[in-house]
Amino acid sequence: MASIGHRISGVLLVCLLPFAVLALARSLDGEEAFSSLIQNLQSTFGRFVLALVAWASAHHLFAGIRHLFMDVGIGSSLAAGRASAYAVLVAAALVGAAALIA
Amino acid sequence: MRIFSGQRAFVLQRISALVLLAYLTATALRLAVGPEVTFVQWRTWIAQPLAASALLLGAAALFLHAWVGIRDVVLDYVQPLALRLAVMTVAAAGLLVLAAWTGFIVLTHAL
Repeated sequence: MASIGHRISGVLLVCLLPFAVLALARSLDGEEAFSSLIQNLQSTFGRFVLALVAWASAHHLFAGIRHLFMDVGIGSSLAAGRASAYAVLVAAALVGAAALIA
Repeated sequence: MRIFSGQRAFVLQRISALVLLAYLTATALRLAVGPEVTFVQWRTWIAQPLAASALLLGAAALFLHAWVGIRDVVLDYVQPLALRLAVMTVAAAGLLVLAAWTGFIVLTHAL
């Protein structure tokens, strides 16, 4: 689950990249473009998208760190692998929920 | 893209992951803890050579990481050769355009 989630969140983040670059461009276009971008991000739809980005980033980051530890042989037993997989799922869900509420 | 395959891709994926980890942690902390960023602060920040270089390094790590990751996923799930080639070409072209666009944005505001 954590592993396929790593791929799903990764592909999702790549699909959102064009919008991230567009936002970067808009944020530097001028005072008006900057504040309209902030306003859009604070709308209901914008907050939903930001929460999705927060969840995908958190999941991808946590699962990636888990992979890096496993690469060097830490936590690669079945029991430890299961426990850390659950930890990744829960922690990423918490980050997504926090982003939705905040 | 042969230069990003095999063991080199494996190493590249881990190095770029560590760069992104440092970069995103710092950015997330600043946005979560610090005061709200104004347009003038943002524009002033990005005009500094050190900040612009850091942003370009982060972007380079991001696009390389995205390419190696997409390549891995396509190689695993897209079996027909023609389709695989098509998906990879679209992904590579898209990422190259976005990377060039990012570089252009950062450099026009930094220089």
